Amino acid sequence: MSDREFARLWTTGEGHPHLDACAACRARYAAFQNWLVGIGETLRDEADEAFPADRLALQQAQIARRLETLERPARVIAFPKAARAVISGNSHVRRWVTVAAAASLIAGFGLGQVVPLRTVIRQQNALAPEPFTAPAAAIRAEGLTPAPTSPRSDEDLLSDDFASPRVRNLSALDDMTPHARDYNVRAK
Amino acid sequence: MSGTSPALVAAREADAAAASAVKGSQAAGELAQARERYAELVARHQRRAARIAYHYLRDSAEADEAAQDAFVKAYQHLASFREELPFDVWFTRILINGCLDRIKSRTRRERWLLPMSGARTGGAADGAADERAMTDRVASGGLSPEQALLGRERRRQIATALAKLPERQRSVFVLSHVEGRTSREVSALTGLNESTVRVHLFRAIRKLRGLLASDSVAAAGELKGKRRVTS
Repeated sequence: MSDREFARLWTTGEGHPHLDACAACRARYAAFQNWLVGIGETLRDEADEAFPADRLALQQAQIARRLETLERPARVIAFPKAARAVISGNSHVRRWVTVAAAASLIAGFGLGQVVPLRTVIRQQNALAPEPFTAPAAAIRAEGLTPAPTSPRSDEDLLSDDFASPRVRNLSALDDMTPHARDYNVRAK
Repeated sequence: MSGTSPALVAAREADAAAASAVKGSQAAGELAQARERYAELVARHQRRAARIAYHYLRDSAEADEAAQDAFVKAYQHLASFREELPFDVWFTRILINGCLDRIKSRTRRERWLLPMSGARTGGAADGAADERAMTDRVASGGLSPEQALLGRERRRQIATALAKLPERQRSVFVLSHVEGRTSREVSALTGLNESTVRVHLFRAIRKLRGLLASDSVAAAGELKGKRRVTS
């Protein structure tokens, strides 16, 4: 008899007429059974070594502790009210802010439709100072260039007509200030 | 492989009585008493649960957690337990489902993690524990160092061969041979048909026979080689 046949007999628990007749196969089947029982024992021993009595006692204590914890309701830590109001989706503040934003958007859109914004802008542009453009700049630059002056003598530059201030408010100050022309007069 | 011993019948009756007492206490709100009665059930099935979880997970720490989880879950869902079914069958099914979930999540985790050098951390820890246990046994005079070493080698070979079996064959083999369950009980525990259980068992035995025979041949070859080197 083969090992396959032994395995089948062992699994089903059936007998076989050949086993009763053949002593050699009976002995082999007994060895096969011992082998299987030995495997079971070895596996059991291995698991029992991994779980000695003290470890099982510890495990039992842990199970008891976990069962006790299950029955106690979990503690809920109160969260600050203000923070919760901001976070909460049902907050009144949030709802009002949303409504106000939507209302102002609609109002703005409606106002834009009613008021002719383009004409207002055009009028404003007309009143606004002339923008700095290239031809205007050229005109200004022309005004800044010094006019061709006629050659004057030093005497002319020191004359009263040239040196007297053109601003009336400064004439009093000018009177108190010594002038080069005064020295010229003295020297003469 | 069939039939139930009188001791088992008595144990099952005691389980059923304890389970219904716990259920009654839970319903009455006497929770301390329920826990106390449940501790009896835990003590009675703890070792068996640890063995089964260990053979499924091959890691003592994880097996410990799986057994604890199963006991807690069974306590929580005891109201749904029907007395006509043996408590140990109902409980073992919870335990096996928990172990299978753990194996699945472990496989998922290992797919994304970098492989560690050598065995898993738990396996390494178990290896160290094995070393310590063997040293203790040798020191206490229970076994000779040679016997201890041979025994350890045999355990390693069997565990390796068992790990090579497909999951269903392994489950059926462990429940039948380690726990001594009948085919009908294994069928109730695993949800498989009784004839399917027998087929899985048959295939598991054949495969183990082949694997262990090739292992022993290889071990004999190694031993010969070592002897040749030393001489």
